[in-house]
Amino acid sequence: MSIRHGLLALLSTGSRHGYQLRVEFEASTGATWPLNIGQVYTTLSRLERDGLVEPGESDEQGRVAYTITAAGREELARWFGTPVVQSDRPRDELVIKLAMAVAAGRADVAEVIHKQRTATMRALQRLTTAKRAATDGAAQRLVIDSMIFQAEAEQRWLDHCEAVLKEES
Amino acid sequence: MTYVRLAGVTRVHGEGATAVHALKGVSLELDVGELVAVMGPSGSGKSTLLNLAGGLDRPTSGTVHIGEQDLAGVRDLAALRRRSVGYVFQDLNLITSLTAAENVMLPRELDGVRSGRARQEAMAVLAEVDSADLADRFPEELSGGQRQRIAIARALVGERRLLLADEPTGALDTRTGDEILRILRARCDAGAAVLLVTHEPRYAAWADRVVFLRDGMIADTTDTPLASAR
Repeated sequence: MSIRHGLLALLSTGSRHGYQLRVEFEASTGATWPLNIGQVYTTLSRLERDGLVEPGESDEQGRVAYTITAAGREELARWFGTPVVQSDRPRDELVIKLAMAVAAGRADVAEVIHKQRTATMRALQRLTTAKRAATDGAAQRLVIDSMIFQAEAEQRWLDHCEAVLKEES
Repeated sequence: MTYVRLAGVTRVHGEGATAVHALKGVSLELDVGELVAVMGPSGSGKSTLLNLAGGLDRPTSGTVHIGEQDLAGVRDLAALRRRSVGYVFQDLNLITSLTAAENVMLPRELDGVRSGRARQEAMAVLAEVDSADLADRFPEELSGGQRQRIAIARALVGERRLLLADEPTGALDTRTGDEILRILRARCDAGAAVLLVTHEPRYAAWADRVVFLRDGMIADTTDTPLASAR
Protein backbone atom coordinates (compact mmCIF):
# COMPACT_ATOMS: atom_id res chain seq x y z
CA MET A 1 0.00 0.00 0.00
CA SER A 2 1.45 3.31 -1.00
CA ILE A 3 0.76 5.71 1.86
CA ARG A 4 3.43 7.92 0.34
CA HIS A 5 1.56 8.45 -2.90
CA GLY A 6 -1.77 8.59 -1.15
CA LEU A 7 -0.56 11.53 0.91
CA LEU A 8 0.91 13.23 -2.15
CA ALA A 9 -2.44 12.85 -3.92
CA LEU A 10 -4.26 14.52 -1.01
CA LEU A 11 -1.68 17.31 -0.84
CA SER A 12 -2.02 17.96 -4.57
CA THR A 13 -5.37 19.63 -3.86
CA GLY A 14 -3.98 21.94 -1.14
CA SER A 15 -1.81 22.16 1.96
CA ARG A 16 -2.76 20.06 4.96
CA HIS A 17 -1.38 19.08 8.31
CA GLY A 18 -0.84 15.51 9.47
CA TYR A 19 -4.12 14.97 11.26
CA GLN A 20 -6.17 16.23 8.30
CA LEU A 21 -4.23 13.90 6.00
CA ARG A 22 -5.02 10.93 8.18
CA VAL A 23 -8.73 11.72 8.32
CA GLU A 24 -8.99 12.31 4.58
CA PHE A 25 -7.00 9.20 3.69
CA GLU A 26 -9.36 7.07 5.73
CA ALA A 27 -12.42 8.82 4.32
CA SER A 28 -11.27 8.06 0.75
CA THR A 29 -10.57 4.41 1.37
CA GLY A 30 -13.46 3.80 3.75
CA ALA A 31 -11.20 3.12 6.75
CA THR A 32 -10.21 -0.13 5.07
CA TRP A 33 -6.60 0.60 5.83
CA PRO A 34 -6.55 2.49 9.10
CA LEU A 35 -3.57 4.76 9.34
CA ASN A 36 -2.00 5.78 12.61
CA ILE A 37 -0.78 9.30 13.03
CA GLY A 38 2.80 8.07 13.54
CA GLN A 39 2.80 6.53 10.05
CA VAL A 40 1.58 9.81 8.64
CA TYR A 41 4.37 11.84 10.24
CA THR A 42 7.08 9.30 9.37
CA THR A 43 5.91 9.33 5.76
CA LEU A 44 5.76 13.13 5.68
CA SER A 45 9.33 13.44 6.95
CA ARG A 46 10.54 11.02 4.26
CA LEU A 47 8.65 12.96 1.60
CA GLU A 48 10.28 16.13 2.93
CA ARG A 49 13.73 14.48 2.85
CA ASP A 50 13.12 13.52 -0.81
CA GLY A 51 12.04 17.07 -1.68
CA LEU A 52 8.48 16.08 -2.56
CA VAL A 53 6.76 18.15 0.15
CA GLU A 54 7.64 21.26 2.16
CA PRO A 55 6.62 22.07 5.72
CA GLY A 56 5.21 25.53 6.47
CA GLU A 57 5.34 27.53 9.69
CA SER A 58 3.71 25.87 12.67
CA ASP A 59 0.45 27.50 13.72
CA GLU A 60 -0.52 28.54 17.26
CA GLN A 61 -1.45 24.94 18.09
CA GLY A 62 1.94 23.73 16.89
CA ARG A 63 0.55 22.07 13.75
CA VAL A 64 2.62 22.16 10.60
CA ALA A 65 0.88 22.29 7.24
CA TYR A 66 2.68 20.55 4.39
CA THR A 67 2.65 21.64 0.74
CA ILE A 68 3.43 19.52 -2.30
CA THR A 69 6.48 20.66 -4.35
CA ALA A 70 6.91 20.64 -8.15
CA ALA A 71 8.99 17.45 -7.78
CA GLY A 72 6.17 16.01 -5.69
CA ARG A 73 3.64 16.74 -8.44
CA GLU A 74 5.92 15.06 -10.94
CA GLU A 75 6.25 11.99 -8.76
CA LEU A 76 2.48 11.85 -8.32
CA ALA A 77 1.90 12.10 -12.08
CA ARG A 78 4.43 9.31 -12.61
CA TRP A 79 2.62 7.14 -10.06
CA PHE A 80 -0.82 7.65 -11.62
CA GLY A 81 0.71 7.06 -15.05
CA THR A 82 2.38 3.74 -14.19
CA PRO A 83 0.43 0.48 -13.95
CA VAL A 84 0.86 -1.50 -10.76
CA VAL A 85 2.90 -4.66 -11.28
CA GLN A 86 1.14 -7.87 -10.37
CA SER A 87 3.85 -8.45 -7.83
CA ASP A 88 4.57 -11.73 -6.15
CA ARG A 89 1.76 -12.18 -3.72
CA PRO A 90 2.69 -13.29 -0.27
CA ARG A 91 2.20 -17.01 0.13
CA ASP A 92 -1.48 -17.70 0.33
CA GLU A 93 -2.32 -19.90 3.29
CA LEU A 94 -5.50 -21.23 1.75
CA VAL A 95 -3.74 -22.30 -1.44
CA ILE A 96 -1.03 -24.05 0.55
CA LYS A 97 -3.60 -25.71 2.80
CA LEU A 98 -5.54 -27.07 -0.14
CA ALA A 99 -2.49 -28.17 -2.05
CA MET A 100 -1.24 -30.00 1.03
CA ALA A 101 -4.62 -31.58 1.69
CA VAL A 102 -4.64 -32.92 -1.87
CA ALA A 103 -0.97 -33.90 -2.10
CA ALA A 104 -0.61 -35.45 1.32
CA GLY A 105 -4.04 -37.02 1.20
CA ARG A 106 -4.31 -36.53 4.95
CA ALA A 107 -7.27 -34.23 5.31
CA ASP A 108 -10.79 -34.51 3.97
CA VAL A 109 -10.36 -32.12 1.05
CA ALA A 110 -14.09 -31.76 0.39
CA GLU A 111 -14.56 -30.73 4.02
CA VAL A 112 -11.76 -28.16 3.78
CA ILE A 113 -13.47 -26.71 0.70
CA HIS A 114 -16.94 -26.67 2.28
CA LYS A 115 -15.73 -24.93 5.42
CA GLN A 116 -13.77 -22.35 3.49
CA ARG A 117 -16.57 -21.69 1.05
CA THR A 118 -19.02 -20.98 3.85
CA ALA A 119 -16.50 -18.73 5.60
CA THR A 120 -15.68 -16.83 2.42
CA MET A 121 -19.38 -16.41 1.68
CA ARG A 122 -19.93 -14.93 5.13
CA ALA A 123 -17.08 -12.51 4.46
CA LEU A 124 -18.72 -11.60 1.15
CA GLN A 125 -22.03 -11.02 2.93
CA ARG A 126 -20.33 -8.70 5.41
CA LEU A 127 -18.61 -6.78 2.61
CA THR A 128 -21.92 -6.44 0.76
CA THR A 129 -23.59 -5.12 3.92
CA ALA A 130 -20.76 -2.61 4.28
CA LYS A 131 -21.18 -1.57 0.66
CA ARG A 132 -24.90 -1.00 1.10
CA ALA A 133 -24.15 1.19 4.09
CA ALA A 134 -21.38 3.15 2.33
CA THR A 135 -23.02 6.31 1.16
CA ASP A 136 -20.03 8.67 1.37
CA GLY A 137 -19.10 8.65 -2.26
CA ALA A 138 -17.77 6.34 -4.92
CA ALA A 139 -14.19 6.00 -3.63
CA GLN A 140 -15.26 4.05 -0.54
CA ARG A 141 -17.65 1.81 -2.45
CA LEU A 142 -15.03 0.99 -5.06
CA VAL A 143 -12.55 -0.01 -2.36
CA ILE A 144 -15.15 -2.42 -0.96
CA ASP A 145 -15.93 -3.63 -4.50
CA SER A 146 -12.28 -4.52 -4.92
CA MET A 147 -12.45 -6.77 -1.87
CA ILE A 148 -15.74 -8.24 -3.10
CA PHE A 149 -14.14 -9.18 -6.41
CA GLN A 150 -11.22 -10.81 -4.59
CA ALA A 151 -13.48 -12.83 -2.30
CA GLU A 152 -15.53 -13.82 -5.31
CA ALA A 153 -12.41 -15.03 -7.11
CA GLU A 154 -11.56 -17.20 -4.11
CA GLN A 155 -15.08 -18.62 -4.10
CA ARG A 156 -14.89 -19.46 -7.80
CA TRP A 157 -11.53 -21.09 -7.30
CA LEU A 158 -12.98 -23.26 -4.51
CA ASP A 159 -15.83 -24.35 -6.80
CA HIS A 160 -13.24 -25.12 -9.46
CA CYS A 161 -11.15 -27.19 -7.02
CA GLU A 162 -14.22 -29.16 -6.02
CA ALA A 163 -15.21 -29.86 -9.62
CA VAL A 164 -11.68 -30.92 -10.63
CA LEU A 165 -11.21 -33.18 -7.58
CA LYS A 166 -14.62 -34.78 -8.10
CA GLU A 167 -13.66 -35.61 -11.66
CA GLU A 168 -10.37 -37.17 -10.61
CA SER A 169 -11.69 -39.23 -7.72
CA MET B 1 -42.71 -15.67 10.25
CA THR B 2 -42.14 -18.57 7.88
CA TYR B 3 -43.72 -18.01 4.50
CA VAL B 4 -42.42 -20.98 2.52
CA ARG B 5 -41.63 -24.33 4.08
CA LEU B 6 -40.12 -27.29 2.24
CA ALA B 7 -39.89 -30.40 4.44
CA GLY B 8 -38.00 -33.53 3.39
CA VAL B 9 -38.62 -32.80 -0.26
CA THR B 10 -37.48 -35.25 -2.92
CA ARG B 11 -38.05 -35.09 -6.63
CA VAL B 12 -37.38 -38.01 -8.93
CA HIS B 13 -37.68 -37.66 -12.67
CA GLY B 14 -38.32 -40.92 -14.54
CA GLU B 15 -38.39 -44.42 -13.13
CA GLY B 16 -36.28 -47.50 -12.54
CA ALA B 17 -32.70 -47.59 -13.75
CA THR B 18 -32.97 -44.29 -15.60
CA ALA B 19 -34.52 -42.38 -12.68
CA VAL B 20 -32.85 -39.06 -11.92
CA HIS B 21 -32.92 -37.98 -8.28
CA ALA B 22 -32.97 -34.22 -8.67
CA LEU B 23 -33.58 -33.53 -4.97
CA LYS B 24 -32.85 -35.98 -2.18
CA GLY B 25 -34.59 -34.77 0.96
CA VAL B 26 -34.27 -31.01 1.17
CA SER B 27 -35.74 -29.01 4.02
CA LEU B 28 -35.73 -25.25 3.76
CA GLU B 29 -37.72 -22.43 5.32
CA LEU B 30 -38.05 -18.94 3.98
CA ASP B 31 -39.28 -16.18 6.25
CA VAL B 32 -41.19 -13.06 5.35
CA GLY B 33 -38.62 -10.36 4.72
CA GLU B 34 -35.88 -12.87 4.07
CA LEU B 35 -33.65 -13.18 1.03
CA VAL B 36 -32.22 -16.66 0.62
CA ALA B 37 -29.74 -17.46 -2.13
CA VAL B 38 -29.26 -20.95 -3.52
CA MET B 39 -25.91 -21.75 -5.10
CA GLY B 40 -24.60 -24.88 -6.70
CA PRO B 41 -23.17 -26.31 -9.90
CA SER B 42 -25.41 -27.17 -12.82
CA GLY B 43 -27.35 -30.33 -12.10
CA SER B 44 -27.27 -29.79 -8.34
CA GLY B 45 -31.05 -29.27 -8.17
CA LYS B 46 -31.26 -25.47 -7.91
CA SER B 47 -33.96 -24.97 -10.50
CA THR B 48 -35.93 -28.00 -9.30
CA LEU B 49 -35.90 -26.48 -5.81
CA LEU B 50 -37.14 -23.15 -7.13
CA ASN B 51 -39.90 -24.81 -9.18
CA LEU B 52 -41.10 -26.80 -6.17
CA ALA B 53 -41.02 -23.78 -3.85
CA GLY B 54 -43.22 -21.86 -6.28
CA GLY B 55 -45.68 -24.63 -7.10
CA LEU B 56 -44.53 -25.02 -10.71
CA ASP B 57 -43.82 -28.66 -9.94
CA ARG B 58 -44.88 -31.15 -7.26
CA PRO B 59 -42.48 -33.14 -5.08
CA THR B 60 -42.18 -36.94 -5.31
CA SER B 61 -42.24 -36.99 -1.51
CA GLY B 62 -42.14 -34.43 1.27
CA THR B 63 -44.29 -31.33 1.62
CA VAL B 64 -44.29 -27.76 0.38
CA HIS B 65 -46.22 -25.03 2.16
CA ILE B 66 -46.75 -21.51 0.92
CA GLY B 67 -48.22 -19.42 3.70
CA GLU B 68 -50.72 -21.71 5.44
CA GLN B 69 -51.38 -23.84 2.40
CA ASP B 70 -50.01 -27.32 1.80
CA LEU B 71 -49.54 -27.40 -1.97
CA ALA B 72 -50.47 -31.09 -2.02
CA GLY B 73 -54.01 -30.00 -1.16
CA VAL B 74 -54.23 -27.27 -3.77
CA ARG B 75 -56.04 -28.32 -6.93
CA ASP B 76 -55.50 -25.20 -8.97
CA LEU B 77 -51.81 -24.47 -8.59
CA ALA B 78 -51.90 -22.01 -11.47
CA ALA B 79 -54.32 -19.75 -9.60
CA LEU B 80 -52.25 -19.93 -6.43
CA ARG B 81 -49.13 -19.07 -8.38
CA ARG B 82 -50.80 -16.10 -10.05
CA ARG B 83 -51.94 -14.73 -6.72
CA SER B 84 -48.97 -15.53 -4.50
CA VAL B 85 -45.81 -16.11 -6.49
CA GLY B 86 -43.78 -13.92 -8.79
CA TYR B 87 -41.01 -15.18 -11.06
CA VAL B 88 -38.00 -13.47 -12.53
CA PHE B 89 -35.94 -15.43 -15.01
CA GLN B 90 -32.75 -14.79 -16.86
CA ASP B 91 -34.69 -14.70 -20.10
CA LEU B 92 -37.00 -11.90 -19.30
CA ASN B 93 -40.03 -13.10 -21.23
CA LEU B 94 -41.43 -9.61 -21.54
CA ILE B 95 -43.97 -9.48 -24.32
CA THR B 96 -42.44 -7.33 -27.04
CA SER B 97 -45.71 -5.98 -28.44
CA LEU B 98 -46.77 -4.61 -25.04
CA THR B 99 -45.39 -1.57 -23.23
CA ALA B 100 -43.62 -1.94 -19.90
CA ALA B 101 -46.78 -0.97 -18.01
CA GLU B 102 -48.93 -3.37 -20.05
CA ASN B 103 -46.50 -6.19 -19.34
CA VAL B 104 -46.78 -5.49 -15.62
CA MET B 105 -50.60 -5.26 -15.82
CA LEU B 106 -50.93 -8.58 -17.59
CA PRO B 107 -50.94 -11.00 -14.63
CA ARG B 108 -53.51 -8.84 -12.84
CA GLU B 109 -55.76 -8.71 -15.89
CA LEU B 110 -55.47 -12.49 -16.23
CA ASP B 111 -56.68 -12.62 -12.66
CA GLY B 112 -59.78 -10.66 -13.65
CA VAL B 113 -58.74 -7.27 -12.29
CA ARG B 114 -60.25 -4.43 -14.36
CA SER B 115 -57.77 -2.69 -16.56
CA GLY B 116 -58.01 0.73 -14.86
CA ARG B 117 -57.13 -0.78 -11.51
CA ALA B 118 -54.50 -3.08 -13.02
CA ARG B 119 -52.83 -0.02 -14.51
CA GLN B 120 -52.89 1.77 -11.15
CA GLU B 121 -51.27 -1.23 -9.48
CA ALA B 122 -48.73 -1.48 -12.28
CA MET B 123 -47.78 2.17 -11.97
CA ALA B 124 -47.40 1.83 -8.20
CA VAL B 125 -45.06 -1.13 -8.47
CA LEU B 126 -43.11 0.46 -11.35
CA ALA B 127 -42.52 3.46 -9.09
CA GLU B 128 -41.23 1.13 -6.39
CA VAL B 129 -38.55 -0.18 -8.73
CA ASP B 130 -37.71 3.36 -9.95
CA SER B 131 -39.13 2.73 -13.39
CA ALA B 132 -42.25 4.90 -13.56
CA ASP B 133 -40.67 6.88 -16.39
CA LEU B 134 -40.33 3.71 -18.48
CA ALA B 135 -44.01 2.78 -18.31
CA ASP B 136 -44.89 3.58 -21.91
CA ARG B 137 -41.79 2.18 -23.54
CA PHE B 138 -41.63 -1.11 -25.39
CA PRO B 139 -39.12 -3.76 -24.25
CA GLU B 140 -36.85 -3.20 -27.24
CA GLU B 141 -36.51 0.44 -26.26
CA LEU B 142 -35.09 -0.55 -22.87
CA SER B 143 -31.60 -1.58 -21.71
CA GLY B 144 -31.03 -5.02 -20.21
CA GLY B 145 -31.08 -3.63 -16.68
CA GLN B 146 -34.26 -1.65 -17.31
CA ARG B 147 -35.98 -4.72 -18.79
CA GLN B 148 -35.04 -6.73 -15.73
CA ARG B 149 -36.52 -4.04 -13.46
CA ILE B 150 -39.79 -4.29 -15.42
CA ALA B 151 -39.71 -8.07 -15.05
CA ILE B 152 -39.31 -7.65 -11.29
CA ALA B 153 -42.21 -5.19 -11.21
CA ARG B 154 -44.34 -7.73 -13.08
CA ALA B 155 -43.32 -10.41 -10.60
CA LEU B 156 -44.35 -8.22 -7.66
CA VAL B 157 -47.58 -6.67 -8.91
CA GLY B 158 -50.67 -7.32 -6.82
CA GLU B 159 -50.42 -8.98 -3.45
CA ARG B 160 -47.64 -11.38 -4.28
CA ARG B 161 -45.16 -11.71 -1.47
CA LEU B 162 -43.02 -14.57 -2.72
CA LEU B 163 -40.52 -13.80 -5.42
CA LEU B 164 -38.53 -16.54 -7.11
CA ALA B 165 -35.57 -15.36 -9.11
CA ASP B 166 -33.60 -17.73 -11.34
CA GLU B 167 -30.29 -16.12 -12.39
CA PRO B 168 -31.95 -12.69 -12.67
CA THR B 169 -28.60 -11.04 -13.28
CA GLY B 170 -27.74 -13.42 -16.12
CA ALA B 171 -26.27 -11.31 -18.89
CA LEU B 172 -26.01 -8.03 -16.98
CA ASP B 173 -22.77 -6.24 -16.16
CA THR B 174 -21.82 -6.18 -12.49
CA ARG B 175 -22.98 -2.62 -11.83
CA THR B 176 -26.42 -3.33 -13.31
CA GLY B 177 -26.48 -6.68 -11.55
CA ASP B 178 -25.86 -4.93 -8.23
CA GLU B 179 -28.73 -2.58 -8.99
CA ILE B 180 -31.07 -5.57 -9.53
CA LEU B 181 -29.98 -7.06 -6.20
CA ARG B 182 -30.50 -3.71 -4.51
CA ILE B 183 -34.10 -3.76 -5.75
CA LEU B 184 -34.69 -7.38 -4.67
CA ARG B 185 -33.18 -6.56 -1.28
CA ALA B 186 -35.43 -3.53 -0.90
CA ARG B 187 -38.49 -5.65 -1.71
CA CYS B 188 -37.42 -8.08 0.99
CA ASP B 189 -36.95 -5.32 3.51
CA ALA B 190 -40.48 -4.18 2.58
CA GLY B 191 -41.85 -7.62 3.52
CA ALA B 192 -41.46 -9.90 0.50
CA ALA B 193 -39.74 -13.28 0.68
CA VAL B 194 -37.21 -13.86 -2.07
CA LEU B 195 -35.58 -17.11 -3.16
CA LEU B 196 -32.70 -16.38 -5.49
CA VAL B 197 -30.82 -18.93 -7.59
CA THR B 198 -27.46 -17.71 -8.75
CA HIS B 199 -24.05 -19.07 -9.59
CA GLU B 200 -22.40 -15.74 -8.84
CA PRO B 201 -21.06 -15.40 -5.30
CA ARG B 202 -21.17 -11.59 -5.45
CA TYR B 203 -24.96 -11.64 -5.87
CA ALA B 204 -25.55 -14.46 -3.42
CA ALA B 205 -23.80 -12.27 -0.86
CA TRP B 206 -26.80 -9.90 -0.80
CA ALA B 207 -28.81 -12.67 0.86
CA ASP B 208 -29.46 -13.16 4.55
CA ARG B 209 -28.64 -16.81 4.11
CA VAL B 210 -26.81 -18.73 1.40
CA VAL B 211 -27.59 -22.39 0.79
CA PHE B 212 -25.15 -24.54 -1.19
CA LEU B 213 -26.72 -27.44 -3.07
CA ARG B 214 -24.69 -30.45 -4.14
CA ASP B 215 -26.16 -33.50 -5.87
CA GLY B 216 -29.68 -32.73 -4.72
CA MET B 217 -28.78 -32.12 -1.08
CA ILE B 218 -27.93 -29.08 1.01
CA ALA B 219 -24.16 -29.27 1.48
CA ASP B 220 -23.53 -26.12 3.50
CA THR B 221 -25.44 -23.09 4.59
CA THR B 222 -24.47 -19.78 6.11
CA ASP B 223 -27.30 -20.49 8.49
CA THR B 224 -27.03 -17.72 11.04
CA PRO B 225 -28.88 -14.80 9.52
CA LEU B 226 -26.77 -11.66 9.59
CA ALA B 227 -28.58 -9.32 11.93
CA SER B 228 -26.90 -6.37 10.29
CA ALA B 229 -28.08 -7.39 6.84
CA ARG B 230 -31.59 -6.28 7.65
